[in-house]
Amino acid sequence: MSLNLELVNITKRFGPTLANDHVSITAHGGEIHALLGENGAGKSTLMSILSGRYQPDVGEIRLSGEPVRFTSPAHALARGVGMVHQRFMLVDAFTVAENVCLAAGGSPLLDLKAEAARIRELSDRFGLDADPDRPVHTLSMGERQRVEILKLLRLGARVLIFDEPTSVLTPTEIERFCQVLKTLRQEGRAIVFITHKLEEALELSDRISILRRGRLVAHTTPAEAGGKRNLARMMVGREVIFAIDKPAVEPGPEVLRLEGLTGGGDPARPAFSGVDLALRRGEVLAVVGVAGNGQTELAEALAGLAPLTAGSVSFEGARHEAKAWAAAPKDALAYVPEDRHHEGSVPELSMTHNYLLTRLSAFTRGLLLDWTGGAEATRKAIERFAIKAEGPHQPSGELSGGNLQKLLLARELSRLPSVLVVQQPTQGLDIGASEDVWKSLLEAREHAGVLLVTGDLTEALTLADRVAVIFAGRILGVADVSDPDQVARISPMMAGVRQ
Amino acid sequence: MSSQRTIHSRAIALWAFALAVPLLAGAAVFAVMGSDPLAAYSVMFQGAFGSWGRFSEVLVKASALSLTGLAVILAARMNLWNIGCEGQLVMGAVFATAAALHLGDTLPAALMLPCAALCGMAGGALWASGPAWLRSRLGVSEIITTLLLNYVAIALMEHLYFGIWRDPAGFGFPGTAMFAEAARLPRLAGTRVHPGLLAGIAGAILLAWALAKTRWGYELTVMGLGPKAASYAGMDAARRGLWVLMASGAIAGLAGMAEVTGIHYRLQQGVAVGYGYDGVIVACLARLHPALAPPAAIVLAAVLVGGEYLQTKMRLPSAASLVIEAALLLSLLWLQARKKR
Repeated sequence: MSLNLELVNITKRFGPTLANDHVSITAHGGEIHALLGENGAGKSTLMSILSGRYQPDVGEIRLSGEPVRFTSPAHALARGVGMVHQRFMLVDAFTVAENVCLAAGGSPLLDLKAEAARIRELSDRFGLDADPDRPVHTLSMGERQRVEILKLLRLGARVLIFDEPTSVLTPTEIERFCQVLKTLRQEGRAIVFITHKLEEALELSDRISILRRGRLVAHTTPAEAGGKRNLARMMVGREVIFAIDKPAVEPGPEVLRLEGLTGGGDPARPAFSGVDLALRRGEVLAVVGVAGNGQTELAEALAGLAPLTAGSVSFEGARHEAKAWAAAPKDALAYVPEDRHHEGSVPELSMTHNYLLTRLSAFTRGLLLDWTGGAEATRKAIERFAIKAEGPHQPSGELSGGNLQKLLLARELSRLPSVLVVQQPTQGLDIGASEDVWKSLLEAREHAGVLLVTGDLTEALTLADRVAVIFAGRILGVADVSDPDQVARISPMMAGVRQ
Repeated sequence: MSSQRTIHSRAIALWAFALAVPLLAGAAVFAVMGSDPLAAYSVMFQGAFGSWGRFSEVLVKASALSLTGLAVILAARMNLWNIGCEGQLVMGAVFATAAALHLGDTLPAALMLPCAALCGMAGGALWASGPAWLRSRLGVSEIITTLLLNYVAIALMEHLYFGIWRDPAGFGFPGTAMFAEAARLPRLAGTRVHPGLLAGIAGAILLAWALAKTRWGYELTVMGLGPKAASYAGMDAARRGLWVLMASGAIAGLAGMAEVTGIHYRLQQGVAVGYGYDGVIVACLARLHPALAPPAAIVLAAVLVGGEYLQTKMRLPSAASLVIEAALLLSLLWLQARKKR
């Protein structure tokens, strides 16, 4: 019997929300199956059902024709169905072999040597290039992902599910990952991967299923899909403009200058060092890099949330030495952090609460807070930014990622900053919401210089005038987006190659 | 709409279950000891509400419990768990006693009680200051430090009333001399109800107002629920935590002051009877809403007073009420843990 995993008529309801509505898909052995959909389309729910985390309300799962009922991820894995999550489930302090042992369970005694041998064998067979003795914290994101794959293979997974597998990888690592997928396919495994990146689905997969609002709207192959544009239309349900309108804005005076800026991490090993950058009003300067190269710390340090040890920051006509920056007045510097759910907002509190978070001074009357004014301002923000919400009283944790991001942007832009620092502004957002966020960022150029920290090169090239590449804490180069030769050098620089 | 209703009825059912568990636990204890649980509960109810005199005792206990409950709530709103209200209450009692015993000659009578109240609050705040400092500077868990200091406070208090403060005219009975009239809180006619009850209610209203309306309250809420968001917004949670824990200690200290100046009129055995620990239960019962602290305190006080009556009336150990109390706390914690999921 050939390997296949069928989901038949799967329906799953969460309260009033129909997350999956009679969805049927089949993953075949020796095939790569892409599951496309916007956020909230029900992809993750479907995969959670497939991997045993949720039970379907209606419908059936069949493994090679035989009906199965997975009661837990462990149970699914025992039957050969495993999932690689977006956030890796690895113990950083452990070695690769220890992590694999931990997942494998079994004997109460550790036999790391035998495990290492097994890992080497699997690693050679599937081209995973994993060293069993390396501690996980020394591995790159791509290597960690391969350890996750190794874990599943070690446990005998025949169906492998990937949740947004390329979101944390560099362009080179993505190529590497594609190679691994192809090897897995050759070895007869069935692969399902969730993505909202159209190019990936077109390039990698043998079949594409598209989910929209919980329903399966199309079932196609890359050859029949009719191109990226058509695929996007099926996914979003309307026409999508890829080249976003970017009206030219006359660059204004310089609003921020960093000279030899060093800091972040512990003083002995700064997360970034010797950073020289200048930003003018009306301009978008992107800082791109693979996660973990110091860009997060750089943005945090600019917001006064991470330490600076050397260099200087010139802002609003004053030059601040590194150590004095954290205490310097930064009312005109707005910052939208990467973690919009827990750093940029408090999910349990209302939208008004969250709107006031960085605007307290403007809404304080003596000891009291002006709640009426705050709610009114929030209501206006909801209208102006077309945020889908019940009203200012709704807890922000109930908003979708895109609507929450719009709320945070509305809040930060209402301060009329001269510098806006944003981190990964569209990470995890669907196309529609990303477009809205991009438009807001471009509008912000009217009165601000925008420093965009992102790992998404497409985003950087869409929005930025110049792109600075950060690698291992240093700026390797700054590319002018209008010059194709310079743009071509960005990808290699992200991997640390300076030309 | 209908789903809204199901959610409501579900919440009510959960609450009913959470309240039924401790009652069943109590019933089991009564049954094991060979008594009719229903009769025992009816005696408990009579003990708490059967007459104005008995109910006034409920109010007396509720005064202290409201204050310790508020102390726990204030800190817990910042995600700090002050398990040291017992010790802070004791230190409040000790400091208030010091004022009553040693300042009587120098202070005008009208200033005696305000001064004792301030001393009591200072004592509680001082006792909380060590854990508060360790927490804000070094990140030491305030749960452990506040808890451990309870035993130190009680030992210190005993040392005082067994030793240097023992009343020479007290026939060897451990305890200080009785306070002068000026250092005694007034009482409601014929009962032991003292103004501590009003302090508890006023404190509840004040704290509820401050949390809802002021910038201070807003910041406290944000720091409690979203520490990362708080630091993103530039709030200094470590510094605020220091003051909040000390303020929490001060409230517990005030409860201690009211105990010695309103009930015992001296420092003696019986000051540390667990009001500090019970404050945690009050806080959970009130679901950390300050305005609900006084009613929650009355519920718990009724269980305690009813349990005492049970002892005199049916010769059942009053510890039965502790079983109910413990089961109540556990089932409330269970309810909370369920909500988080």
